[in-house]
Amino acid sequence: MKEIKEFGFRQTPPATPLRFNAEKCIGCNRCMEVCMIDVMTPGEKGGHPVVSYPDECWYCGCCVMECPTGAISLHHPLMNQTRWVEKASLLKNRKEN
Amino acid sequence: MSEMKWPYPAKVSQVNRMEADVIVLGGGIAGCMAAINAAKRGQSVILVEKGATKRSGAGGSGCDHWESAATNPCSGVSPEDLVQAMLDDNDGYNNGISHYIECREGWDHLQDIEKMGGKIRDTEDEFKGAAFRDEKTKLMFAYDYKNKFTIRIWGTTFKPAMEKECRRLGVKIVDRVMVTSLLTEGGKNGAKCVGATGVHTRTGEFYVFSSKAAIITMSRPARVWLFSAAYPGLCEFRPMCTIGDGHAMGWRAGAEFNMMEKSVRAEFSSAGRSFPPYSAGNNHNTWYPASLIDAEGKEIPYADRDGNILTDVEQRFQPAKGQHYFLKGGNIEQAKYAYDGPETLPYDKLKEMGYKLPFYADLSNMPELERKVIWGMMVGQEGKTNVPVYKNFTEAGFDPTKDVLQCYGVGWTSAEFLPQERQLFGMPGGFMNDWDLMTNIPGLFVAGDSLFSSNCFGHAASTGAYAGRKAAAYAAKQEGFIAPCETQVANEMERVYAPLGGDPVNGVSWKELNEAIAKAMQNYCGEQKRDELLLSGVDLLNRYEKEIVPRTYAANPHELMRLLEVFDILTVAQIILQACLARHQTCPKLEFYRTDDDGKAMAPFICIHNDGEKVVAREVPLDYAGDIRENYEKHNQDYMAEKTKEVQA
Ligand SMILES: Cc1cc2nc3c(=O)[nH]c(=O)nc-3n(C[C@H](O)[C@H](O)[C@H](O)COP(=O)(O)OP(=O)(O)OC[C@H]3O[C@@H](n4cnc5c(N)ncnc54)[C@H](O)[C@@H]3O)c2cc1C
Ligand code: SF4
Ligand code: SF4
Repeated sequence: MKEIKEFGFRQTPPATPLRFNAEKCIGCNRCMEVCMIDVMTPGEKGGHPVVSYPDECWYCGCCVMECPTGAISLHHPLMNQTRWVEKASLLKNRKEN
Repeated sequence: MSEMKWPYPAKVSQVNRMEADVIVLGGGIAGCMAAINAAKRGQSVILVEKGATKRSGAGGSGCDHWESAATNPCSGVSPEDLVQAMLDDNDGYNNGISHYIECREGWDHLQDIEKMGGKIRDTEDEFKGAAFRDEKTKLMFAYDYKNKFTIRIWGTTFKPAMEKECRRLGVKIVDRVMVTSLLTEGGKNGAKCVGATGVHTRTGEFYVFSSKAAIITMSRPARVWLFSAAYPGLCEFRPMCTIGDGHAMGWRAGAEFNMMEKSVRAEFSSAGRSFPPYSAGNNHNTWYPASLIDAEGKEIPYADRDGNILTDVEQRFQPAKGQHYFLKGGNIEQAKYAYDGPETLPYDKLKEMGYKLPFYADLSNMPELERKVIWGMMVGQEGKTNVPVYKNFTEAGFDPTKDVLQCYGVGWTSAEFLPQERQLFGMPGGFMNDWDLMTNIPGLFVAGDSLFSSNCFGHAASTGAYAGRKAAAYAAKQEGFIAPCETQVANEMERVYAPLGGDPVNGVSWKELNEAIAKAMQNYCGEQKRDELLLSGVDLLNRYEKEIVPRTYAANPHELMRLLEVFDILTVAQIILQACLARHQTCPKLEFYRTDDDGKAMAPFICIHNDGEKVVAREVPLDYAGDIRENYEKHNQDYMAEKTKEVQA
């Protein structure tokens, strides 16, 4: 386990829609400029934008479509991640019954 | 958070004045098409957009099908037939004018979008030989393959192409400015529209636009009954930026509204009950007509409208015996028998037959091209599916040839809502329009989902183009610009900026107010209406307006935008309550139910407006549009001549 010496605060996010890959990001802010909700604000010079209003994200994916280097990923909140199974596993159920 | 500095310069109280023959308010599908068509007719145009025009609005991220293209070369239905069906299916409570424009002109505008760079044909022959593809035109159709009036499109390419075309034509695009009010001649209620005001959502700069004609294309209201402080971006089907600002400012200016008493039990809110649209298994719209299987892999039967079981997948795309065509796609409500299409058996029946939950969408056993067109084209081009569904699922290993996607609930909505959880979904109320798509306010035009009883991409594009044309003609006839009333401008500036001066510690936030409005509407304007309840709602919302609105606080221009939106939601909620009070009988087609029905004959359209002092209601016959074709042609001789010339050339 990581050694913990002191505690801090974190605003409890209900979801974190965007993840940036700092190695791929060229800091062009195109993702920020295309977002119709204006979820992001400029970050440090050369770095990726800050997700200032993650709760307002509509999960449209336009920021990802706009990024020239593939540096962002977008994920639905955990509760909204739908489930799929291999069809064969259902057919197996049938036999067992 | 609170220690962070706002990254943009503060320009509060700086006023930016701009002027154009035509101003377009809202840069979505209808707005872009309006701007393009007004500019093509030689007028100077300003397009004002709250977000970023390149991708903003409900259709910005994509769209997979274009409805009612009745005049495309493969169509088996006439625009007159189709609009008649839409009217009949809703017992007349529908917008005959705007839907005729959609049916008759849609194909023209789709071809224009293709010229701008939107993809509408299978030019790579990826689907060569498919039953839904026309080999000559390479167009691909959805739903009714016999009548071919719904076209599958690569909608992710559309919005950037439209934005580029606006710039090419010299449209001045003003992004990140929220329109806040309409300016009327002399500042008078109901007088000629002479411009609009706006506020920059990053700097707080104030905008005053002067114009000869204005077009409202800000879509429709939302978050009136549904809200989630944790996931506000997900609590409605439409994007957060479209919550009915246009309706609210139109109401304040004296514009007339129709059908605002209509609301439906909620169908989508992925902040709570449902899942993001198209990301769960279902067999509608984008996913029509996917095979469904039950928990044990047993296939769920499709039947025609008479209950005859369909044995082949091909039959799911065909009208029933003796039926000309069927309505599917954007048509989400159960269609009448005459227009009803193939469908899986109802859930109750399936339960009786021993089918077990959960169900799954199963593309694995469908013909290869049908599978590929659903997973990869429709899911991929549809709004909000390209990245979070198609890309992410594929990367996570979803393989449609062997995996099946779970359905939640039993319908395509993936959830069951409570009766009081309501939404303006399907074809709700909106601005009342004439044959020029003009409102009762001279010089104020409306298009897209702002119109009453409107829906869909093709409808938005077609009515947008039409309103652009009509507004351009109107502007060309005006003598010059009428200066805005400076008192009206000053009052609006004061209203807009007030929350920035609120109490940073105890001030009410936009979220608290939105949540309160939504709860009030669930309590006082749920499924069953009666006067006492509605009046209690009016009372409470008036109190919010008088006592709470002055106590709100916004820390920066972004939060100010959110707060101004909620003020508009408050106004919209008041419009809805007033419209409900004006209708005294149950009206099933409007999903309007009264427990204190006065027993008189059901009223036709009820239009309401605010005359500055009180609410005025009037009845309008359901067939006020008259003979649809005759009236269209009377109003569009110039356009028809233009088109004939194009064909000859
Ligand atoms: C996920 C999804 C998928 C869909 N798929 C289909 C489909 O496959 N086929 C189909 O036919 N239809 C589809 N639709 C519906 C279709 O996208 C809409 O009917 C259409 O976009 C409506 O066009 P509009 O111009 O009226 O509104 P929008 O395109 O939403 O544009 C409204 C614009 O107004 C702006 N705005 C709002 N308020 C203000 C303000 N105060 N100031 C400035 N600007 C403002 C907004 O930012 C927005 O850009 C889909 C909708 C969604 C959400
Ligand atoms: S997914 Fe859409 S709403 Fe969310 S940050 Fe990206 S562009 Fe903005
Ligand atoms: S668009 Fe991509 S590269 Fe540019 S700032 Fe955003 S994440 Fe970085």
